Amino acid sequence: MKHKISVNINGKQCEGEVEGRELLVNFLREHQSLTGTHIGCDTSSCGACTIHLNGAATKSCTVLAVQADGAEVTTIEGMATNGELHPLQAGFKEEHGLQCGFCTPGMIMTAADLLKNNPNPSEHEIREALEGNICRCTGYHNIVRSIQHAAKNMNGVTA
Amino acid sequence: MTNYIGKSVKRVEDKRFITGQGKYTDDIKIPGMVHAYILRSPYAHAHVKSIDTAEASKVPGVISIITGADIPEAIAGVPCGWQVDFKNGDTMKEPPHPLLVRKTVRHVGDGVVLVVAESKAIAKDAADMIDVDYDVLDAVADPKAAAQSGAPLVHPDAPGNLCFDWELGNPKEEVAAALAGAHHVTELDFVNQRVIPNAMETRGVVAQYDTAYDKYTIYTSTQNPHLIRLLMCAFVLGIPEHKVRVVGPDVGGGFGSKIFHYTEEALLVWASKHLNLPIKWSSDRSEAFLTDAHGRDHASNAKMGFDKDGNIVALQATTYANLGAYLSTFAPAVPTYLHGTLMQGLYTTPKVNVDVKGVFTHTNAVDAYRGAGRPEATYLLERLLDLGALEMDMDPTELRRKNFIPAFDGVEQEGYQTQVALQYDSGNYEPVLDRALEMVGYENFRKEQAAAASSNKILGIGFSTYIEACGIAPSAVVGALGARAGLFESAQVRVQPTGKVSVYTGSHSHGQGHETTFAQIVADRMGIPLDDVEIIHGDSDSVAFGMGTYGSRSLAVGGSAIVKSIDKVLEKGAKVAAHLLESSVDDLDYADGKWTVKGTDKSVSFGDVSLTAYVPHNYPEGLEPGLDFSSFYDPANFTYPFGAHVAIVEIDKETGAVKLKRFIAVDDVGNVINPMIVDGQIHGGLAQGIGQAMYEGALFDDTGQLINGSYMDYCMPRADALPSFEIDRTVTPCPHNPLGVKGAGEAGCIGSTPAVVNAVVDALWKAGYKVKDVPMPMTPERVWTAMQG
Amino acid sequence: MLVKGNHEFNISKEMLWSYLMDPEVLAKITPGISELEPTGEDSYNTISNMKIGPVKGSFKGKLNVIDKEEPSSFAIDMEQLSKIGNAHGKISMKISDADNGSTNLAFNGDVKLSGMIARMGQRVLSGVANLIIKEVFASLETHISESTA
Ligand code: FES
Ligand code: FES
Repeated sequence: MKHKISVNINGKQCEGEVEGRELLVNFLREHQSLTGTHIGCDTSSCGACTIHLNGAATKSCTVLAVQADGAEVTTIEGMATNGELHPLQAGFKEEHGLQCGFCTPGMIMTAADLLKNNPNPSEHEIREALEGNICRCTGYHNIVRSIQHAAKNMNGVTA
Repeated sequence: MTNYIGKSVKRVEDKRFITGQGKYTDDIKIPGMVHAYILRSPYAHAHVKSIDTAEASKVPGVISIITGADIPEAIAGVPCGWQVDFKNGDTMKEPPHPLLVRKTVRHVGDGVVLVVAESKAIAKDAADMIDVDYDVLDAVADPKAAAQSGAPLVHPDAPGNLCFDWELGNPKEEVAAALAGAHHVTELDFVNQRVIPNAMETRGVVAQYDTAYDKYTIYTSTQNPHLIRLLMCAFVLGIPEHKVRVVGPDVGGGFGSKIFHYTEEALLVWASKHLNLPIKWSSDRSEAFLTDAHGRDHASNAKMGFDKDGNIVALQATTYANLGAYLSTFAPAVPTYLHGTLMQGLYTTPKVNVDVKGVFTHTNAVDAYRGAGRPEATYLLERLLDLGALEMDMDPTELRRKNFIPAFDGVEQEGYQTQVALQYDSGNYEPVLDRALEMVGYENFRKEQAAAASSNKILGIGFSTYIEACGIAPSAVVGALGARAGLFESAQVRVQPTGKVSVYTGSHSHGQGHETTFAQIVADRMGIPLDDVEIIHGDSDSVAFGMGTYGSRSLAVGGSAIVKSIDKVLEKGAKVAAHLLESSVDDLDYADGKWTVKGTDKSVSFGDVSLTAYVPHNYPEGLEPGLDFSSFYDPANFTYPFGAHVAIVEIDKETGAVKLKRFIAVDDVGNVINPMIVDGQIHGGLAQGIGQAMYEGALFDDTGQLINGSYMDYCMPRADALPSFEIDRTVTPCPHNPLGVKGAGEAGCIGSTPAVVNAVVDALWKAGYKVKDVPMPMTPERVWTAMQG
Repeated sequence: MLVKGNHEFNISKEMLWSYLMDPEVLAKITPGISELEPTGEDSYNTISNMKIGPVKGSFKGKLNVIDKEEPSSFAIDMEQLSKIGNAHGKISMKISDADNGSTNLAFNGDVKLSGMIARMGQRVLSGVANLIIKEVFASLETHISESTA
C-alpha cells in the first residue's frame, strides 16, 4: 500500500507516495533526487545518511519515510544559502576535511548539530560527537580541524 | 600568481562534494533503468543441487531471473591479470571465476542468481522466494590449514589448494648458514590478519546497451576504467573495445578494493544487452563484506640473524598467503612481487630469502589493499627489528642506524641494489629517524616510561622505519615479473584556442585530489592561472587510455605523462611564438605565460600563441595547426618513498586496554606538489594502518562463515579512537621522473602498523612481561591474555 | 555456535522424558519454535521466529529426534532455513538424577550458522541462544507445575 506524505525539504514542500517500509533516505535519494545524502551501510552505523529532521541531526536510514510526514528536513543540498557556503562547508574545504567526499555530507550535518548545541567544542568533544560517523579517507585529523575552523568563523560572525 | 608547485592550494573538486553534488555510481539514473539484486551463497562450500525460481518469477515487477546456466558457456568468467609461477616453472593454478556459479559455490557470497526487477526492493523480495537446494560441503578458511594434506579442496585441479609457490633472494642454504652462524636470531611466528577495505561508498554498476549505436556504456565505481574495459572486452565478453565506454564517476574511496575487474561488471553488461534494458546494481554493505576483495591475510614465520654488534646478517621469511577462493585481478602479485621485493627494507642485510605459498581457501578473494604486500613486508621486518633490540637489550633506534643503507641520491651515487631484485632510486634514511626522535622527545620519553613502569598505566614506544616501492614500472620489467598489462600512463594536454587547457589523464581520482594537484603542475609549468586548467579523468571515451590509480602511482607516472605533454605543447608553442616575434626559438625565454625575446621586452602571450595555432593565418611554414599533445610515460624504475613512524601507547595493566597516545610520522615522498593533500594522504593511511593494529580483522568460523560482516561487528577506527597525528617530512627527490616525486598514498598505511604493535610489546617488555608478540588486532583481551603469559 | 547448559526439574526422570517427548512440549523447548507438524515418527516440520538484535526472521525447517535412550538421553537434529540465513546442528540432551530426587537436564550442541545471522552478531549469538534455551526450560518448568497442580 502506498502512503501520501508531505515533507518540507530544504524549505520547499515536497509531496510523494511511498511504501510503508520505505526509508527516509530512500525518499530523499530516489523520489526527490537529493543524492547528496549517501548510504554507507545497512546497520545504521556509518552516519553517511545524516540529515536534520526537525532541526536535529538524524540518520535518515533509521527513519521511515512515512514518519517524516509533516516534518522539516534539511539535507546537505540545503546548507548553503543564496550560493553562500555554510561555514562548515567552507571549513571542510579550507582545512582539507574531505578526500573522496562520500562521508562529507553526513559529517557536515552532524557537525552542524554539534555547533548549534556547543558553539565552542574542544577537540575531544568534536571527536566524541563524530562517533557515529565513519570516514575511511581522512583519519579524522582534518575533519576535526575543519569543524574547529567553522566554529571559529561562526563565533566571529555572531560575536 | 603562477607558482603553484609546493603550495597548499585548496581543492577544486571540493565544491561539488561539500554541496552534495558529487555524482557517485548509485546517484546515476537512466530513463527506463531497472534494478538488479544478486542472490548469493550462504555457504562457503556447497554443490547447488537445484534452483527453483517459479514463485519468484511470479512477483509483480520481476523482469528476469538469470542463473549460471543461462549464461553462455563461452563466457568463462573474469580473468586474473598477473601470473606467478611455481618454483619448478609450472604455471600457477588459475581456476575460472564464473559470473554466476554453475555448480559449486566456493565462498559465502558467491553469486548464484541474478534477479532483475523494476526496483531493488522488488528484486530483493523475489530473491527471497527463490529456493536453492545446496549440498553443503566442508570448507577451509585459514591459509595454513588449507595447505595441509586432507584439507577440503577449493578447486579439484589445485592439489593442496596451492596456487603457486615462489621464492626470491639468496639461496635458502646460504641464508640458513648465515643464520646458523649468527650471534643472535630473533624469530617470530605471526599472522598478518585479513582486513576488509571498507571504502565508504560500496561498489555499484550501471550498464546500458544502445541498439542504435551497438554500444555499451558502463558506470562503475572503479579505480581504473580503462583496465576494466580491456579485461572485460578482451577476456570475458569478447566484445570490441571501441564499442564499450567505461566511466568511473565520482568514487567514494577505493584503497585498492576498486582496482579489480569484478564479476558484477561483466554480468551487468552482458545482461543489459540480453534484456536490452539499462540495469543498476548497487552493493549493500553486508554484500560488500562478502564480495569486495579483502587485504593481507598472511601466516608467516620470520627469522632475522644479528652479529654481536647488532648488524643484521640474514633474513628468512616464510609465508602462507591466503588468496581466497578465486584469483582476483592482481592477487598473485601482492604476496610475491609487491611483498618479497621489499624484504631488504632500509637495511644492508647481506642475505635475504623469501618463500611464499599462495593458497586457495573458501573465502572471498584477497588482493591489493592500501600498501598491498608492502605493509606485510614492513610488518615482518620492523617487528623483528624492535623485538631483536629488546632481546639483545639494545636501543631500537641505534640498532636501525647501524643497519641503515648509507645515503645515495641516485645521481652522483648509484641506486642501491637489493638482494631481492629491486634497485632503490634514492634514499637518505637517518634524517627521517632523527626528525622523528626530535619530535618525540625520545630521551625524555624513556625517562617517563621508566617512571611509569611500576604503575598501573605502563608506557611503550614503537618504531618503524619503512621503505615502499610505488609507481611500479617499467612495463617491460613488470611484464617479466608476470603482469599481463603495462604499467605506464597516458596524458593529453589539449590547449583550447583561447589558451584554456583541458588535460585528459588516465589516472583516476577517488579522493586523491588529482583535479587540483595535476592542475597545479600544468598551471605552474605553463605559467597560466589555475582556473584556466581542467583535469578530466575516468571516462574511457574522453581519455585515450589509462592504467588507473593504485600503488601510489598517479603523480609519479600520471603526473610525469602530463609533464611530457606540456613539454611538447611548449616546444611547439615556441615555434609559433618565434614566428610571431620574428625571432628564433633559441632566442626565446618562456616564463609567466609568455615568450620573450631574450634581453628585450618583446613578448607574446600563451593565449595569443594558442589562438594563432588554431587560426593559423600568420603561421610558420610547414607547421601543423593546433596545440594538442598526447604522451605515454613509462617510468625507468619504481620510486621508493621511506619514512620513520613512532607510536606511543599507554596500557592499562588491569584491563589490557591500549590507548594510542601519540603518533609521529616523518615521511619522505620526494618532491611535494601540494603539501596539504600529501598530509591528508598520510593521515588517512595512518588511520588504516593503526586500524589494523588495534581494531580491524575479518573473523571466519570453521565453516568459512565471516562472522563479523557488518559495521556492528567489524571494528574500524572512529574519530574518538585516534589522536591528532604529528607529521613532518624530509625531501629526497626521485632522480628518474621529471617532477622528482615518489608517492604518498600508501606510506601512512605501510609504516604505522608495526610501530603500534612494537609500542605495545615495548611497554609490556619494559614493565617486566617478556611478551614477544600480541596478535592483531590488539584488543584489550588479547593484550591482557599475553600479559598472563 | 556452541550451546551448553543445564536445568533442574522437580520431577522424576521418567516424567521429564514423557514431557519432552510430547511434540507440543518439544515445540516449546526448542528455541523460537512456534509450530511443529509431525511428518513421521520423531520427525517434524517446524516454523519458528527469532529476533536477535537487528536480525529477525522466520525460519522453516526440519527437526528430528534421534539417538533416543529412554529415559536418559536423546538428541535433536535440526535444519532451519530462512531469508536471513540457515542453522544446522545437533543438540544432545542428557537426563540424569540430581540430588534430592530432582532431575537434571543437560544440553550440549554445536549449531552451524550461515548467511546474515552468521555475519552479524554471531559472537554474541551463542550467549543469546543459551539464554533462550534456559528461558524455555524455565517455562517448561512453569508448564509442569501448572499441569501437575
Ligand atoms: S547509511 Fe545510515 S548510518 Fe549508514
Ligand atoms: S572523505 Fe572518503 S570517507 Fe570520508
